[in-house]
Amino acid sequence: MLLVVTYSRRARETLRNACRSHEETVVRRFGRAALLRETEYGAFLTCRLRERHAGDVQIERTEPFNEFADAPDAVREAAVAYERRDSPYTPYDRFAAGTDHPDAAEMRGREL
Amino acid sequence: MNDWTLRLPDGAELAGPVVDLRDADTSPRAVRRAIRGGCPTRPDRPAVHAPPPTCVHSHVGYLHPNVSIDRRAALAAVGAARGVDTPHDAEFDRVRTSLRELSVPTVDDAELRAARRRAAEAGSETDRLRERVAALRGRVAAHRDDGDDDAVAAAEASLSEATRRLSEASTERVAATQRLKALEERARRARDSREKRFRLGDRVGNLRRARRAVLADLVEPDVREARTRLESWVDDRAIEIDGGLRDALAIATTAPLRAPVVVDPEVVAGLGGPDAAFEWLSAPLAIG
Repeated sequence: MLLVVTYSRRARETLRNACRSHEETVVRRFGRAALLRETEYGAFLTCRLRERHAGDVQIERTEPFNEFADAPDAVREAAVAYERRDSPYTPYDRFAAGTDHPDAAEMRGREL
Repeated sequence: MNDWTLRLPDGAELAGPVVDLRDADTSPRAVRRAIRGGCPTRPDRPAVHAPPPTCVHSHVGYLHPNVSIDRRAALAAVGAARGVDTPHDAEFDRVRTSLRELSVPTVDDAELRAARRRAAEAGSETDRLRERVAALRGRVAAHRDDGDDDAVAAAEASLSEATRRLSEASTERVAATQRLKALEERARRARDSREKRFRLGDRVGNLRRARRAVLADLVEPDVREARTRLESWVDDRAIEIDGGLRDALAIATTAPLRAPVVVDPEVVAGLGGPDAAFEWLSAPLAIG
């Protein structure tokens, strides 16, 4: 999908108007941002927004996240294990201490 | 304190508090512009020597029979001109200062666009050449199977040329991709400041509305009272004054007006003549 985020009032207004008049192309709207369908018309709308508002519009192309392909096994397994923990009040760092699960700080520093 | 002077292009000077433009060789419109603009003006335009207009002036600076005003905005302007404090002032000033001082790193959009184009072109060129190299490899192999040495040599020459160009294109692709990545990273950082600016801008807007509401509420009783007084005056004399004009007059009489107000002769007559109008508005006047 095409993620459009606006950074000025005028850009937000243009996005709102575009979403109102082209509902068929809008997947979701969130205040100053919207997800557009990946159709040529979605691209047409985003190109227009970029043309009019340049840097006040951020456009990203999103992809579904596949945790088996996009995340290291250790990270995915740590997440699963943590969600299944016994005590809901254990913070992750304490949970991970002394186990093979990766450290939160380490994960923060590593790009996917 | 209501003295003011109107100097006309021909050198004539008219002194207020009340200046009747019907006798003067100028248009009320030009005088209104001169009041707003102050000095200096072009020599062929009238000039006004008077205190500068406040924000109330944009609402009630010209009183004519069909005047229509944004009442709440005008009330708030009166409050502001009176120098009334609101509980939002300090925060409003603080947020506005933060907004003013916020520097948003500039991102050259044209540069970014050029980098996107270059990366896209380098990518498709590489893909095209890669396909060509694969095709030529196939051709070399086919000619070799046929035992056609001349054709093999020709195909090999093409293959080596295509391979060389592919290598160049790949280098260009890497360079273009890295360049684009660096620029996008810079744009991403700039967006954090844009985000902040956006939020501060919204906050300023909300605080401005909150201040206006407080100011308008504070002034409202005075304006209502002024309107009641005005109404009993005009009703006693059976004068026709439109609702919009009643509001405008009530607001004008409540506001501290130091810059001249232009009043239509019909309105002046309705109020009972220049002296009465001056009394009502206690402001420097231009009739026209």
